[in-house]
Amino acid sequence: MKLSEAWHLSRIPYGEVAYKSIIQTRSGMWWGSFGRNDPDGESRGDVEMAERALVIAKVDKLVVGVVSTITSIIPFASAFTQPPPPKLMIPISLSLAIAFSFIMLYAVQTLSSFVGAESSALLSTLPLTMDDFALITLLSFVRSVDYMAVGSIVSQAALVAYLTTSLPATLLMLVASSMNVVFAVSIALLFSRLFYRNLLGGGRSKVNTALRLVFLLAWGLLVMGAGILFSIAWYVMPNLEKALLSLDSNPVLPILFPFSAGMTIASPIYPQATLSETLAFAALAGYVALAAVAGRWSLGMTRRMSQGTGFRIARERAEEFFVKVRSPLFGYVMKDLRISSRNPATAFFYALPAFEAVIVSLLMMGREMLRASTILVATTMGGVVSLFMPLGLLNAEGMGLEYTKTLPVKIGRIVKSKALISTATYVPVPLALLGMALLKSLTSPLAILIPFVTISSIASASIVEIRLFLGFVAKRRVDTLIHDLGRLMAGVIIALIPEIAYVMTYLMSADHVSAILVMGGAAAAELAMASYLLQQT
Amino acid sequence: MTTPLVEASGLVKLYGSVQALAGLDLQVMPGEIYGLLGPNGAGKTTAIKILTGLVEPTSGWAKVAGFDPTRDPIMAKSEIGYVAENPILYESLSPRDFFEFVASIRKIDQSAANQMVTQLAEAFDMSQFFDSPIATLSMGMKQKVALIASLFHQPSVLLLDEPLNGLDARSSHIVKDLISLHAQRGGAVLFSTHIMEVAEHVCTRIGIIYRGRVISEGTFDQLRSKTGGKGETLEEVFLKLTNEEAEVADTIKALREGFYRDEIK
Repeated sequence: MKLSEAWHLSRIPYGEVAYKSIIQTRSGMWWGSFGRNDPDGESRGDVEMAERALVIAKVDKLVVGVVSTITSIIPFASAFTQPPPPKLMIPISLSLAIAFSFIMLYAVQTLSSFVGAESSALLSTLPLTMDDFALITLLSFVRSVDYMAVGSIVSQAALVAYLTTSLPATLLMLVASSMNVVFAVSIALLFSRLFYRNLLGGGRSKVNTALRLVFLLAWGLLVMGAGILFSIAWYVMPNLEKALLSLDSNPVLPILFPFSAGMTIASPIYPQATLSETLAFAALAGYVALAAVAGRWSLGMTRRMSQGTGFRIARERAEEFFVKVRSPLFGYVMKDLRISSRNPATAFFYALPAFEAVIVSLLMMGREMLRASTILVATTMGGVVSLFMPLGLLNAEGMGLEYTKTLPVKIGRIVKSKALISTATYVPVPLALLGMALLKSLTSPLAILIPFVTISSIASASIVEIRLFLGFVAKRRVDTLIHDLGRLMAGVIIALIPEIAYVMTYLMSADHVSAILVMGGAAAAELAMASYLLQQT
Repeated sequence: MTTPLVEASGLVKLYGSVQALAGLDLQVMPGEIYGLLGPNGAGKTTAIKILTGLVEPTSGWAKVAGFDPTRDPIMAKSEIGYVAENPILYESLSPRDFFEFVASIRKIDQSAANQMVTQLAEAFDMSQFFDSPIATLSMGMKQKVALIASLFHQPSVLLLDEPLNGLDARSSHIVKDLISLHAQRGGAVLFSTHIMEVAEHVCTRIGIIYRGRVISEGTFDQLRSKTGGKGETLEEVFLKLTNEEAEVADTIKALREGFYRDEIK
């Protein structure tokens, strides 16, 4: 079968994947509004839903593709302003790393729908050879990252061509960018395979739970790694520059992808024939071979997954049927914790605030004294990240929310459950800051209360955010997006009000005691209002 | 006078321009097993969803165990055990996790929950699947999970939408027996099915739903007497009551002529 023909046919399983992925993650907000009926939503047929899901998938892909392309070309900006030749290896390496992170992370988001055999069920009934079937299935997966892949490959090659006017360098960049995509897709497949193999194994053994935790932490690390590259590329770059400029004394970096690629691509224009360049070139040749192996593995893995044989389902025979009955609230909390931590698309939300706290702590390590302003900034960073948790928890509900609607459960209980979890994910932030405060001296001892008072405002913000999410039924994708952002902003504003109150009071009185009292008052008032809102639901 | 456990009056449901229910009336008394039969798209699932409180009627009212599912959904849902046509459960939970969640929400006593789950899980032979994610279970096994979750709080009303979907013979037999036991204990059962034999043997009363309203109801014998045919099966009675008998005969004739023209000649 021709590649173009396979590409065309891959639209069918991809459509199914996109549909399932969006239905699963969007049902809570889309037509699953809790506590009220949506006559228009109910009238939507499956066909309309499927068509809409495909449009949404395209828009999602396009937005992420544009963002990832722009982000991955940012490192090249320095090459326009500071043209010394060896520095081109830094933008190339960073650009490849950023594109890799985006493609891999986005690929994992779609894999929860891809791992089943259902997406290829229709194709499997057609008279196709196994190779054609596997190729179509792999291409359907590639479709989910095609905009990002094309965006990164074309932009990186075009920039290298423009900056170097060298054909070998441009061709090498094309090869490296393509390899980058293959590695990202393969690692996404590998990660999802490990995650699902552990998950599908079931059972309640502590080893399995611990393994899931390890995957969760690994996932959080990956996300944070991408976040660092995305948000503070300019902070990372100077350090990388230093490291790369002393390559001769560091034999490890030249053999690591993407540094090997960066160095090799830069070398045709400015050949220095150093040991590092020779090492980098040799390493890149090795990576080309590795990419070929990874591609073949992905093809085989995709084939097994589409046939439903990618994961061995181990069943442990239950010796007893004991079920632990909790209070309704904690029953809901346990359910939320379980479903959200078992979905790779939402699991990483748990790790974010904790990692944020670690990064904040690392940033503070170099400081002699902890100022109130530093603690305020760190608290805000951790708090804002925690406020993504409600969205993650609601997305994790997925289609299961349909079942919950049949149970005698009030909206207030659902809101409380999710607000409790969101608030709990923020708690590592004040604890990390307290740890730092024990190591460093504070300009004002009262300032350490700021992150603890913020626990209350995070709880209030979570309550309002979740209530807003549950009460709204969007009719169009644009509405959904606007309202998602609106709800998140409402949460952020609520979380920030007590901190703003602290700053304003301190600026007017220059007194930390008054500032913390006003902050505490604002947080208490917010909590009272949020509790009232909760009672009204 | 005995109060019906399930009651619906003049239920109308519009989905845009499509009328799913057109004034449905029905009553299910304590101890009754009421079978709702109707062709595809007749409004069976919509009727059950309104009774469960999942869908709000455009007009008319419904009561379950004395509670309006729209106005008093928490109380109504406390009295209902519901199984959907295609049960949508939390796929990443295991049956054990799922039962823990449902038992906690329904505030079931710890020992009662364990006794009920143990008995039902053993009856449905679930030991091998009890700790596996629901996503990995077969359709029949998912149906068993949904059935257990609908039963173990001992509801007064069972609303079952095609409850035997995907079940093996052994499990079907057990479910039918559980339904009968539930009715014997004074509970009410409303279930929709396409399997005429099941309705014929399990239901104490049958309602034929057609184009959004109950066009005929009664015991099997009463329905048969309405069509005037002695010895007719429920399928034949059903086709007559829904005026589909002639249409079905014409369709079969057309298909025979289309597909098997050569053989017929």
